[in-house]
Amino acid sequence: MDFSLDEEQQLIVATFRRFADEARKLGQHADESDDSGAGAARTALAKAADLGVGIDAIPEAAGGMLSGAYSHTIRALRGLELGRGCAGVAALLESNVEPALAAARWASPEVAAALHGALAGGALATTTHDALGRITITTAASGDLTLDGTLGPVPALADAAHIVISARDAAGPVVILAPTSAFTITPVFPSGWRAARWARLDAKAVRLPAAAVLTRDPAAQHELLSWYKLSLAARAIGVADFAMQCSAGYSQERVQFNQPIGSFESLARMQDQSETATLAGRFLVLRAAAALDAGSPDAAELCSRARDFAAGVVRRASIDAVQIYGGYGFVRDFPVEKLMRDARAFEVLAGDEALTRVLARRQDAATYAGAPAPAARS
Amino acid sequence: MDIFQDSPILQGVKAITHAFAEQVIRPAAARHDAEESMPWDIMEQAANIGMAQTALIDTMSADGPPEAQAAAQGADAPPGKKKRRYGRQLAAVGSEELAWGCAGIMLAIGGSGLAASPVARMGTDAQKKLFKDCLTGKDEHGHVKVAAMALSEPATGSDISALKTTGVKDGDHWVLNGSKQWITNGKSAAVFVVWAQCDPSLGRGGVRGFVVPRGTPGLIPGRKEIKLGIRASETAQVILEDCRVPVEWMLGSSVPAGAQEGLSGTKKMLDATRPVVAAQAVGIAQAAYEHVLRRVQSSSLHGTPMAGHQHLAFALAEMEMEISASRLLVHRAAWMADQDLENVKWASMAKAHAARTAQEVTTRAMAMLGEEALEPGHPVEKWYRDAKIYDIFEGTGQIQRRIVAKELLGLNAT
Repeated sequence: MDFSLDEEQQLIVATFRRFADEARKLGQHADESDDSGAGAARTALAKAADLGVGIDAIPEAAGGMLSGAYSHTIRALRGLELGRGCAGVAALLESNVEPALAAARWASPEVAAALHGALAGGALATTTHDALGRITITTAASGDLTLDGTLGPVPALADAAHIVISARDAAGPVVILAPTSAFTITPVFPSGWRAARWARLDAKAVRLPAAAVLTRDPAAQHELLSWYKLSLAARAIGVADFAMQCSAGYSQERVQFNQPIGSFESLARMQDQSETATLAGRFLVLRAAAALDAGSPDAAELCSRARDFAAGVVRRASIDAVQIYGGYGFVRDFPVEKLMRDARAFEVLAGDEALTRVLARRQDAATYAGAPAPAARS
Repeated sequence: MDIFQDSPILQGVKAITHAFAEQVIRPAAARHDAEESMPWDIMEQAANIGMAQTALIDTMSADGPPEAQAAAQGADAPPGKKKRRYGRQLAAVGSEELAWGCAGIMLAIGGSGLAASPVARMGTDAQKKLFKDCLTGKDEHGHVKVAAMALSEPATGSDISALKTTGVKDGDHWVLNGSKQWITNGKSAAVFVVWAQCDPSLGRGGVRGFVVPRGTPGLIPGRKEIKLGIRASETAQVILEDCRVPVEWMLGSSVPAGAQEGLSGTKKMLDATRPVVAAQAVGIAQAAYEHVLRRVQSSSLHGTPMAGHQHLAFALAEMEMEISASRLLVHRAAWMADQDLENVKWASMAKAHAARTAQEVTTRAMAMLGEEALEPGHPVEKWYRDAKIYDIFEGTGQIQRRIVAKELLGLNAT
């Protein structure tokens, strides 16, 4: 089994590792500015466009960079590095991928071409999943939809022209592609991912044509969410990785009771556990990405597990980093305070993955049954 | 024993402080968090209903109001029965309720108590009067006056014995030099209790406290910090540059350094305050738990009541268990302090357990609420940010475990 990266993958990692340092500065600027992250977002998008980010999932024929199949492994490697820079900037830069892939897969050629053309021209799109049933979708006999409710906050929505909504109506799962102009979009500025140009979506009897439905296939919705969750997981592990880098350095510099705090066994163990978890998370992310790229039947399952695990890893690593920094960890002058704020979105976006997994096992017991339990010893 | 059923006084304090938290503090919490502003108006209201900044001094002064002394010493004992003392338990009950409203505002209301505590314990009558006089009236902005405990330093977080701020005797003055970090009320305080190493040969015993009024030349209130949480409570640096203070401003100045009047003399004080700090963490956890409990009780998940999902129901059960365990530890430690019993292990266990509980409950609550919890101003997201400080200040979680372990093993394990 070979876990090493090929040349192209190594180049991607090196390129985005360099970009991550720049993204981190932009993220800090967004944290401190009072323009709701708009300035940092513009700069990040402009700089990332040079690297093909934002159009990497758009076919070449439509002005993008995609020739052949999309590589979720490359995206995961990119996410691992972008997460090390700034979670908010990373979310913004990754937001076009799901809408572009979803349109290519399930939209009519005309709808896909229109979306791809717009995104290639610099427009933004985003995705949200209504895990808690906050929006009500009514489908008329004609197939037209009426939406009522509130979604979000959703990253990138403040600047997005299009949104993919993953939800349920009375008939079951439904994935919709709609212009954001159909809804009331209210920009918001949460405490984490402040460069991500968040907004809330309000729908009051919003009518959408039947053509807005991309798919009602449950497997398709799973696939869409797999892309989304895998990207979240990769970025979460990236944030955790940076949190540990900060902790490792600081714990050797900071001396208390005449010794570096990192030499106390309790902190050494704390850091070691986080490093093990991050390494495991990285492997899980890359394994899930390979499964997606190969079209493996277990891809959705692996992506869900990767997201569930990564959310816990970034939660623990960011909280531990603040703990290791002590009082300095609690103030904005040092980087880990931001990491703890940023960590939360990885766990709550698209719903609580732990609950999702529990419900999946309950609803599909046969899949998880495994081999019969060994008989009791007589 | 039921902590509350047995005591009308504790019941009363709980009811009053909860009402104040619900009606006054909670509605203002999001605004002060967003603005990172001190709740001056609420601090004044709190003072007006008896949560005065000088209350602790009053309870320990011969000239304090009789009602203040009575509350602390126990006034509800039937004739012929031993009086029951409530000081720490009252503080724990009140702190939990106020922190349930907002931990930042609670700390703004009670922050001066950190400075008042060593003055009450070690100050001469003249020092107590100086301290109280500094807090009388309003400041130049028309705000109630506050005090600051200036102990922590940039290089000295947990390791207090390594203080770098120095005090050098010069005739009938001490000259203080150094910088202080993470000082509650450090920018606005009308009076500071500054700690400095006055005799390095005595180690921790050489660290002495000084009552230093604002405006004393050489005492420079520094930059206010932007923080992860408890943003309604001001935290700032304090700089000391050749700050000359009269010898009579040194706490316990009548006895030589090292004679239990320096920092080592405050150990008992910390054992008494830790349960109160832990109670604040319990208040945050309780607030988050109640919020998510209501949500689970009232909402459905794609047509199924949320309460019917064991995954969610057990999460709530876990929260309730941990919060209750934390609260019992808090009250055990506070009760021991009130009885003058050695409570060092219990105080540290309470602090460590409550801090961990607050972090775990707020984190889990956010996950259960989903994206909604990311909304700016959402209380659960704020409580998540507020909770973290309880594992850091007043002794980190690691320090608490170090203390407990030392109690068990008799040595400091590294």
